[in-house]
Amino acid sequence: MNNKFVYIEAPSFLKLLDSLAKDYHVILPVETKNDYLWQSYPCDFQFSKYRAVNSIRQFLTPCVESMGAYFANETDNTKPFCIVGAKACDLSNALKIQDYVFLEGDIDENYKKMRETNLIISSDCTSFKETCFCLALGIKPYPEELFDLNISELQEGYAVEIGSSKGEKIVSENKTLFKEIRSLMLSERDKKRNDTVKELAFQLSRLNFPQKESLHNLMKTGYENALWKEEALRCVECGSCVMNCPTCHCFLLFDTKDEKGYFKGRIWDGCQYKNFTRVAGGASALRFREYRLRNRYIKKFEFFPDRIKLYACTGCGRCIEGCPAKIDLRKIFTTLETTQSSKI
Amino acid sequence: MNIYSPNKVTLTKIIDETSAIKTFVFRPHAPFSFQTGQFVELTYPGIGEAPFTPSSNPNKKDEFEVTIMRVGKITELFHNAKVGEILGMRGPYGNGYPLDDFKDKELLVVGGGVGIAPLRSLIYALYGRIDDFKKIVICYGARSPQDIVYKYQLDEFKKQRNVEFRMTVDRADNTWKGNVGIVTTLLDKLPLDIKSAIGIVCGPPIMMKFVSLKLLELGFAPNNVYLSMEKNMSCGLGKCGHCRLGKYYICKDGPVFKFQDIKDMWDIWD
Repeated sequence: MNNKFVYIEAPSFLKLLDSLAKDYHVILPVETKNDYLWQSYPCDFQFSKYRAVNSIRQFLTPCVESMGAYFANETDNTKPFCIVGAKACDLSNALKIQDYVFLEGDIDENYKKMRETNLIISSDCTSFKETCFCLALGIKPYPEELFDLNISELQEGYAVEIGSSKGEKIVSENKTLFKEIRSLMLSERDKKRNDTVKELAFQLSRLNFPQKESLHNLMKTGYENALWKEEALRCVECGSCVMNCPTCHCFLLFDTKDEKGYFKGRIWDGCQYKNFTRVAGGASALRFREYRLRNRYIKKFEFFPDRIKLYACTGCGRCIEGCPAKIDLRKIFTTLETTQSSKI
Repeated sequence: MNIYSPNKVTLTKIIDETSAIKTFVFRPHAPFSFQTGQFVELTYPGIGEAPFTPSSNPNKKDEFEVTIMRVGKITELFHNAKVGEILGMRGPYGNGYPLDDFKDKELLVVGGGVGIAPLRSLIYALYGRIDDFKKIVICYGARSPQDIVYKYQLDEFKKQRNVEFRMTVDRADNTWKGNVGIVTTLLDKLPLDIKSAIGIVCGPPIMMKFVSLKLLELGFAPNNVYLSMEKNMSCGLGKCGHCRLGKYYICKDGPVFKFQDIKDMWDIWD
């Protein structure tokens, strides 16, 4: 039998969480009114059907974070996170983008430590939301990479895929909780996965979303499209799209002090905010909302593909779901495509 | 050591340039060197930081200078700082001017307002290897005679052989005997072989825009015009996102850009 897989019964999984909670700050998605919010274990737990409201970015670079004391030394003794129930749209392109930003070139030590010490126990989506469109970006609704362990719910218990040496270690340290997997279980897992893919594909078929390969070019040809202004007129600059996005990474450094000394801090920032590009004296490259809206799409569908051949979008739909102005990424791309062809 | 942590620098001297501009001399506690055109983040400890391009000779290793105009919260704090204070600095960041590419060329250096600060560093660097260049024309425009920085040095800069130094002010007073008009008025009748000459421009965005357009009109190749594009860099390392425009991080891919590479970008001048 393939040794990449093991099986665990539901009660044993809870025991595993108890065991992990000794070394990790275990966080998991808890259902509230058809949505999932991240909470700390121990708490009532079931695997989520689809992604949580917020991405897992907060467990890689906290919203507000000390980057350490300067002119001094500082030690850190917080527990790493164990993220249970992360979905494919939290991993895939999202982690690759974050890794590129924080680990390429100058290494961000805080992020590096989080990535090295965090444990990711992801899980398959068994359903999806109206805003989900991962398939359109070529991402399956089940994790295929970048997890330590992945959980697929079966009729009874869970199929566990081991995705890293860290995951391997967890399994061997908790040997008694796991069982050998049977091929029937893996067929059951594959069938469930295919069913979810089919249903999601049907939902997407009604969208007329452009081919993934054309998004980059639609940005290039769509700079002057009137839609940027029309859509941005409704933007209230709440920043929900940037704060919930798993690939957004922008931040602002700030300085502060207490009786012990000086600290450099980091706080999430976003290009949809009015003063994001403001310089002393008042000039601002992104001074209009339409510039800012377009800028966000340029970053995700042009800048990152140019740099690392990757769209900075996982189709999680959080920017759509959270937008009070109903600015819809899917509609932006379908409009860019249709208005472009009507011009020709 | 965290990549965002500043190192200590001691403020050793303050030179009053104009009513709104001062030059600060810093002694870094850890070894520090920079290439002309690169920038640093200066930290007012516990309060905040901002990006500046050193205005001193890059070949000087024990100290560096930054010329700062008072325009906001951080610059105000620096203006109120006292000699002997310990402040923070991290960097240098960015690409700097590709001096080797200027070898055997004729150069035109155009500075507007406090934009002459990074260019003073360049001038020092160019003067340090003056035989590498065929000819240098420096054009400096200030708003008024009172707004001219480095007054105490300009005569020395003008004396350099192989260099023609031109100056103008937007508005003259009765002490002023030189040119009057914006800096583009200095660009007529340049004693340069325009087709192969290098143009280097630094100043407020609107000045850089019009100088660039003027240089192209005169026949400079878009590939030979270099601009220093300062934006609101926060991290300086291509991570925080603030200074990205289109496909470039100004902090990492710049701040020095060829006109050719940025001409198609909307809002680059803002």
